[in-house]
Order: sequence, then structure tokens, then C-alpha cells
Amino acid sequence: MGATHPAMETLLQVSDLLVRYGDRVAVGAISFDIGRGEILGLLGPNGAGKTSTISCISGLREPDGGRFAFDGAAFSPNSDANARARIGLVPQSLALYDELSADENLLFFARIAGLGRADARIAADRGLELSGLTDRRRDRVSTFSGGMKRRLNLAAGDLHQPALLVLDEPTVGVDPQSRQHIFDALERLKAEGRSLLYTTHYMEEAERLCDRIAIMDEGRILDVGPATALAERAGLPGANLETVFLKLTGKQLRDA
Amino acid sequence: MNSLHAAWIVAKKDLLLALRDRTGLLLGFLLPIVLVGAFGFIFKVSFGQDGGGMDRATLWVADEDGTDASRAFVAALRDAATIRLRPEPGDEPATADALRTKVEAGDAHHALIVEKGFAEALTAERFPPLSMLRDPDRQVESQMISIGVMSAFFASQGPGLSHLFTARALELAGLPPEWHDRVVAISKTFSTTIGGLFDEKDRAATDGTTTASDAKDGPDFGSMFSQLVPMTTTDVRPSGRPQISYWMAQTVCGNAIMMLMFGLVACGQTLLREREDGTLSRLLTSRLPRSSILWGKALMAALMGAAQLFVVFAFGSLVFQVNFLADPSTLFVVSAATIFAITGFGIVVAAWAKTQKQAEGLSTVIILVMSALGGAWFPIQMVDLPLAAQVVTRCTLTHWAMSSYQGMLWHAKPWTDASMLTSIGVLVAFGALALTTAHVLFVKRYVRAA
Ligand SMILES: Nc1ncnc2c1ncn2[C@@H]1O[C@H](COP(=O)(O)OP(=O)(O)O)[C@@H](O)[C@H]1O
Ligand SMILES: [Mg+2]
Repeated sequence: MGATHPAMETLLQVSDLLVRYGDRVAVGAISFDIGRGEILGLLGPNGAGKTSTISCISGLREPDGGRFAFDGAAFSPNSDANARARIGLVPQSLALYDELSADENLLFFARIAGLGRADARIAADRGLELSGLTDRRRDRVSTFSGGMKRRLNLAAGDLHQPALLVLDEPTVGVDPQSRQHIFDALERLKAEGRSLLYTTHYMEEAERLCDRIAIMDEGRILDVGPATALAERAGLPGANLETVFLKLTGKQLRDA
Repeated sequence: MNSLHAAWIVAKKDLLLALRDRTGLLLGFLLPIVLVGAFGFIFKVSFGQDGGGMDRATLWVADEDGTDASRAFVAALRDAATIRLRPEPGDEPATADALRTKVEAGDAHHALIVEKGFAEALTAERFPPLSMLRDPDRQVESQMISIGVMSAFFASQGPGLSHLFTARALELAGLPPEWHDRVVAISKTFSTTIGGLFDEKDRAATDGTTTASDAKDGPDFGSMFSQLVPMTTTDVRPSGRPQISYWMAQTVCGNAIMMLMFGLVACGQTLLREREDGTLSRLLTSRLPRSSILWGKALMAALMGAAQLFVVFAFGSLVFQVNFLADPSTLFVVSAATIFAITGFGIVVAAWAKTQKQAEGLSTVIILVMSALGGAWFPIQMVDLPLAAQVVTRCTLTHWAMSSYQGMLWHAKPWTDASMLTSIGVLVAFGALALTTAHVLFVKRYVRAA
């Protein structure tokens, strides 16, 4: 199970990733990979271990076990700032400075992503455009709606156009209009050939956007593959993800 | 990415955020000014006129007469409630010349010389010759010492000389000298009554209550009262001492340092705020070297601290005429060391605390205690402290910061002076230790286990 899409070369290889909080195992030695230009969905209920997995890949946490390979070479984002620069993180919780304007936020995040002044300017303009906030660029984030903040939150992770953009539930608690905007943005990034790792607990969203889906529950990956292949392997050809998930885990996805 | 450059990018962002935080700015810049203004006013009004609030002032004494009468007077001075007499009984007695040198050097602010002829004058029922050398900037102590000298004089001579006081009071009240003899003759009759009055005064002073309220009875009775024992007073301003108001310098620096601590703890707290708001996750996953996040906060805190001191000192110079610029290089070195130490304090609190609330609670207590013990509210070094208490005050950051500013403003010491170097060295060492500890905590709490 879990073979990389044959047409793609592997960008990030995750092997036996282990995350523990005290004695409690949140992620139990999982392995998967992401192909160049692929959107991989990490689908699972709250508490499955998605955020923990992403924290390790983006360098926020040092894994308790396992290895990463990026473009075939060993990769340790927690200790290596240059490694981190190859990943862009869109955190699950909004991570913006409310008292700075949209423009100031993006400029700052571009600078700390390692861009020079001029490149940061270009990146910020691109980010404003991606989030559809060009006409609100001078307004403070505190005046934005939840959906607008989500869009800006997404753009802030992609300023340096990282090889891999990692998104943690980017549509959680978002109005339908902004949600559509985020989908469009992600599709646009995909069309540009970018690689995305995308967690969600929304089934239809995963089905619609992802090349392959990894179904995760209780710190394990139960199966990885395109939605149709998952259904076939589960012995439910043509079934929707919800049914497949129920079969694999024996439980309903909350909030779906 | 170069660490310093990275820290500067973080600091610039934090400064921008700080400028946007109106409440924070008000607290950081307006509150110290309000406090300095309020305390300055209080000092001017109350401390400027009587000795309220302080229990004893140090008086050095030299007995040039060396008679039983003069020795009794010195003993009474030692017992006076408002005076801490030096040299101590076991120490070598001081000479008039030695005391003159001491006051000139700024090592003593009041010195009383019991001149030759003291006993003779008393026998002749005249006021004896007394000379006071004093630092004119120490008005608070002047009042306390005058009261002490007066009560000691009375205590050692008994009520028998009370007619002298009556005459002196009449003189001070502006009556022509011809009246004195007549009034003195009458007053001898009433001596017991007047003796009773002084007994009461003496008791009041011993109880620790001041005579300030009595002063309200008549026009400037307080100052008249303290001049009842005539003395030849010579003002000796220690050479090189800038013309400053001692109390104003104390209140401006004390409040500035206390508010600097509050301000820089608030700067450090932005680290906890970033964690609570989630923006820290972006910083930690960025290209920034991790420590530059912490150093960026420290840099921002130091710059805010410099701005805050500048504003408060400018206010102190303009409104209370404290001459901060008398020695710019010492001002710079002392302020830089103070800012460095307090930045370390703010950053280590932030790195240690788990939440903003915890940081706020802990730091408020520490700051208030250090301010009180370290002499930011009150020049605690003037009070007779037991050794243990002296050790405690020296454990506070405020003590060393206040000492270095006091050294500069009161004694016009340059930063190269040994005692100044000690204070500055302690501040720098504290800052370095605090920042190192903060870095260790930061790595442990933020980098390893984000
Ligand atoms: N900082 C933490 N300390 C202790 N337990 C945690 C921490 N973060 C997550 N967990 C636990 O680890 C498990 C996985 O959490 P998480 O990775 O956030 O899952 P998801 O993102 O899929 O909702 C959950 O049981 C959660 O309670
Ligand atoms: Mg999560």
C-alpha cells in the first residue's frame, strides 16, 4: 500500500515517523511519501495525529523517531534553518499579527523566510493577490473577517514559494465564499506544479483536491492512494470516502 | 541568514507592533512621567520643608572643647531621635579639619563642630559656639539635624537655660534686641512652663511623629523652632557636584528604573504572546536562526528601554532641573548597563514563564519588591539597616542601578570611578547571566518542545 504515484518523482519521504507526548504515542511510526507536483491529503478525525505529523515535517518539533528524506537526501528541518526554508507552513491556528496590516504581515514573513527586501516586496504583492486582499493591503488584520484571515494565513506560508507547502486544516471554520477562494488558490498552486501536503477532516474537500489521500486514525496511516483506489482496496469500488473511512476505521468522521 | 540581521528583522517588527499598542505606549511612556511628576511634587512639598518620612540623618561631630559639658552635649546628640551620630563611640574621635575634608569630598553631608569655649559660654549663660558644615542640597537632613541638635541641647542643659530659648525665639520673631533682657528676666519666672513645652516636643520626636503639624500654628514656626540653637552654618557643596536637587534626582531615577523594568518585561512578554497567538510557529519554522527570535526580542526591549529612559530623563531635566547631561559619557555607560541588565530581566522572565499571566504576576511582585528594597522609591541607603537587610538590598537589580545613577548625580563620579565600575560591573554581569539563562530556557521550552 501507499505507493507513490508512478508518474512522479518522490519529493519528501517520511519513514517511521514517531511522535510522543510523554508516554502517549500521538503518531506511531508512520511512513508515506509526497511526489513532486502532487497534492497529498492527510485525512483523519480530530486527534488522529495530523498536526503532530506536520509539526515534524515543518521543523516545529523534533520527531521522537524516524527519518525524512527530501529530494533523496537526509532532511532535518528542526535543526537546520536551510532545510526549513524548503517547506512552507500554513498553521492550523491563524498565525498573523492582528495589529499589523496585511502588507506588513506578508513583508515580515517574507523577510524571515530569507527573502531580500526587493524579493520580499514582490512576494508580498503576489501573496496579496493570491489571498484576494490587494485592495485591503493597508488595513490591519484585526479588521478582517475570519475568512479573510484564513486566506492571508495561507498566503503567508507560501511567500518564498517553497518546494513543499504544508497546510494544516486551511478551511476550518471558514465561510463558503472564502472556502471557495482557498480551493481556487490551492488549485492554482497545483497548476503551477507545486507540491502540497494538506490535512483536513472534510471528506469532500479531500476528494475534490487531492491526488492521493492518506487515511489517518489514532496515529496510524490505514491506507494511502487515490480516492478510487482506496475504495477498491477496501472492497467497496465506487463508494465515497465516507463509506471507505467507516469501513477502515469502524467509525464516523466527526464534523464531516 | 546572519543572526544579527535576523534579530533586527524580528526587532523591527516588534517595535512596529509596540508602536501600534496604545495602551502599552501609555503605560511605558506616560505612566513613568506621571509617577515622576507625582513623586517629585510630593517630595517638593513635604520633604522640602520638614523631615517627615525618614527616621535618622547622619551627623558627624567633632568636639574641640573636650569638657564635661561638651561631652554631655555629644552624648545627648547621640540620643537624639532624628540623628545618627558619627563617629561611633568606639571609633577614633574626629577633628574639625577632618570633618571639613569629609564634607568637601561628599562623604558627609552634615558635620557639627563643638568649638572651644563651649563650656565657658554655658557658664556665662550664653549660647555656646557651634559650627555646622553642611551640604546645601541635603535640606531634608538639615531640618532633621536642626531639630536633633536643639533637642540634644535642651536635654543636656536642662530647663535652666530655657530663658535663652525665649530670647532667641523673640529675636527670630523680629523683636528689637533691647527687649531681650527684659523679656528674659520675665521668662526666667516661667521657665518651668516653657521647659514643659520642650519636654513635649522631645517626646513627640521620640515617638517618631514629626513636628510638621505644629508648624501650621504660626507663620513658619517650624523653621524658627529648628533655629532656636544658633549655629554658624557654612554651606559646603562638594567640589564638582552638579547643581542638582538631590531629591529630584532620586525620584526621577527611581521611577525611571521601576518603569523601565515594567516596560521591558512587557517587551519580553511579546514572546509569550507570539506563542499564545500562534505566530511563534511561523518564526520557528522560518529561515531565522532560532536564537535570533530571542535576541530580536532583547534588541527590541533594549531600544524601547533607551527610548523610555530618554523620555523620562528629558522630563526630569526640564521639569525638575535634574542635570543628566553634566557627564554625557557616564550617563551613557550607566544607562547602557542599566538597560542591559533590565533587558536581561525582562527576557528571562519571558523565557521562564509558561503564560503571559504568569509572567505578569511574577514580574509585578519582583519589580515592586526590588524597587522598594533597592532604593527606587526611597533612598534606602540613608536608613540604618542591619547587615542582613543590607545584603538583601544588594541582591536587587535596582540597588545597583540606583547606586550608579546616584553616584553620577549626587557625587559627580565618572563611570571610571571604582565604586561606579562595581555597580556597572554588577549590572552587566546580571544582564549577561539573565540573557544566558533566558537562552537556555528558550531552547528547552521553545525550540526542543514547540
Ligand atoms: N502538545 C501536546 N501535548 C500533549 N498531547 C498532545 C499535544 N499535541 C497533541 N497532543 C495529542 O496528540 C494526539 C494527536 O494530536 P494532533 O496531532 O493535534 O491531531 P490532529 O491534528 O489530527 O487533530 C491527540 O490525542 C492530542 O491530544
Ligand atoms: Mg490538527
